[in-house]
Amino acid sequence: MSSTITKLNAPLTQAFDFQPSSELQFTPTFNTLTQRLADFDTLTSALEYAADGVTGYNFYDARGNLRSVLPYSELRDNARTLAQRLYSFDLPRGSRVAIIADTSAEFVELFFACRYAGLVPFAMPIPVNLGSHAIYVQQLKGMLESSQASIALANIDYVNFLQEAVEGVESIRWVGTPGKLGELPPVYLELQFNHPDEIAYLQFTSGSTRTPRGVVITERALMCNLQGIVRNGLEIRPGDRSASWLPFYHDMGLVGLVLAPMVTQLSVDYLATRDFAIRPLQWLRLISRNRCTVAFSQPFGLKLCTLRARETDLKELDLSCWRAAGIGAEMIRPETLRNFAEKFASAGFDESAFLPCYGLAESTLAVTFSRIGTGCKSIQVDSKTLIDKKMAARLQANGRKQNEFVNCGRPLPGHTVKIVDEDGEQLSEMMVGSVLVHGDSLMTGYYNNPEETSRALKSGNWLDTGDIGFLLGGDLFITGRRTDVIIVNGRNIRAQDIEELAEQQPEVRSREASAFGVDNSEDGTTTIVLVIECRLTSVTERQSLTIRLQQLVYMAFGVNCVVELVPPHTLPRTSSGKLSRFAAKQGYIQRTNLTGQLFFVESGDR
Amino acid sequence: MSESNYDEIMKLLCDRLSGLSNSSIQITPETNIISQLSIDSIKLLNLIMEIEDTFDVSIPINALTDVQTVRELADLVYKIKSAS
Repeated sequence: MSSTITKLNAPLTQAFDFQPSSELQFTPTFNTLTQRLADFDTLTSALEYAADGVTGYNFYDARGNLRSVLPYSELRDNARTLAQRLYSFDLPRGSRVAIIADTSAEFVELFFACRYAGLVPFAMPIPVNLGSHAIYVQQLKGMLESSQASIALANIDYVNFLQEAVEGVESIRWVGTPGKLGELPPVYLELQFNHPDEIAYLQFTSGSTRTPRGVVITERALMCNLQGIVRNGLEIRPGDRSASWLPFYHDMGLVGLVLAPMVTQLSVDYLATRDFAIRPLQWLRLISRNRCTVAFSQPFGLKLCTLRARETDLKELDLSCWRAAGIGAEMIRPETLRNFAEKFASAGFDESAFLPCYGLAESTLAVTFSRIGTGCKSIQVDSKTLIDKKMAARLQANGRKQNEFVNCGRPLPGHTVKIVDEDGEQLSEMMVGSVLVHGDSLMTGYYNNPEETSRALKSGNWLDTGDIGFLLGGDLFITGRRTDVIIVNGRNIRAQDIEELAEQQPEVRSREASAFGVDNSEDGTTTIVLVIECRLTSVTERQSLTIRLQQLVYMAFGVNCVVELVPPHTLPRTSSGKLSRFAAKQGYIQRTNLTGQLFFVESGDR
Repeated sequence: MSESNYDEIMKLLCDRLSGLSNSSIQITPETNIISQLSIDSIKLLNLIMEIEDTFDVSIPINALTDVQTVRELADLVYKIKSAS
């Protein structure tokens, strides 16, 4: 075994033969400190503790070579130095700082610099789609305006987009690269302690250009969620090590794989999301080579690995070290996990490592975790009872049509999940309804957006997740995601954002576009459908609109979509005149004869 | 880099794109990858991997935001290859 590890380690040193930095060493797994499990007041106090050890963050390139190392000690020093530069702007405490979040040491340094300086950082996405330049700039602008950001930062690769985006945004005082920030004169103020009730960061959950939603998370909510994750969810212990490709601008990437390791003083090995998407096995090689124990993915990431792995790849992998394979962020299909486990069993992957969980950015990250070490448990329920009675009944006889749902486990301590019907009445076990969450990890609201906040946070501070599911023996099973979110290839896309793009076209009036996802039950893929009420009669004009819409959706979200033009008054509306996506989808399915796709699991719009 | 390298890049792109696309249209340098070919993100990533491996280049993600046609993609690969 040890010889395999040595062999797999070899490329690391070879790759640096030509560079002066050939001594670059990744941070060790075992620390010199006594491990503390997130029992801190604030992020900066957690970092002050971690900085006394030897662990930290490691960044790898597309070929799996170590490119930069950031021990927590260095992170603390660099973040404090940058905080002194941020002081030179003399901003009020709690001012927002926008950072385009590439998977890099620079991003993490800036993030913590903001906290040291009493400022509120938030991560903005990097552009990922062909031809997306203009729309990407609009998306950035939307977040800058919604957050009323004072400072915007991006590294050299992305700063041009940012320069374009800040144009006309009045709150912006300064925009530039971390390098430029470093050149500013430092102001030597004594660093103040942060209070647990202060905002730790904002998390944007939508690619909307007009109505972005920035989730507000306090230090207290964050630390509460982190404690639940590392103690109850993952049972973190000395010797753990993480590997991640998840983007730093998503809650699972940032909270789960940047902050959770830091508050437990663990080392992490990072691969950029783009590099994972192109060569997914690099992630598994990192896990194998560095003996990582904790690594999370969306089901889609596992699917990519399964698709790409060849026999020769399997021989060089040893995944027996991987004890917590967290799965979340989208509906989990049991067969995705089974296929992965089957494929990688010969590489030592143990399927009891699967750790399904459920959560959302509005509850910091995690809500429920299944029991660690027990693998993916699922239940088969009778499809007919599910449709007719909205009830999950265990399958009694073989041969009946069935649905299989994954057990996402129990709420973290201090959190409660309840299932309610359309009138908000609590439902009993096995009954399917809306999933509501209560607990200390909940957001304070969406930044500067009372309307969306009151829609999500119901009376008694219950968060309406918008997801649909049922409880059984205290365990949560998710049966469907909200109709206002479409998940394609692992990416969450808000239906509203697609409709908004359509409505920006001169031919499309407001409230005359409806977007939804249609699932293919055979291969598990999802197609986005955009139905437009259209008055155009000329074939060329209709064609031009269709092509333009497809192109816009692709540029904004990187996915193809089906555009259907229908006569005015075709789209079903609610009594208040609002479009019903659920009804629009059923209408589409009937028109296109996909009747097998009529799904019971969907709810109305939130 | 010479003209023949550029032609080689263009040829590979056209060949691969016609293999990846569901439609039967003839791929030319002016073909719009987004609106005329239905290439999903996974196929696109496969194509980028193949380009990177074939021409031994690394295509930065920020550069793809200004690519819409086959010619623009070929120009980008050529520019990166020439600079390396």
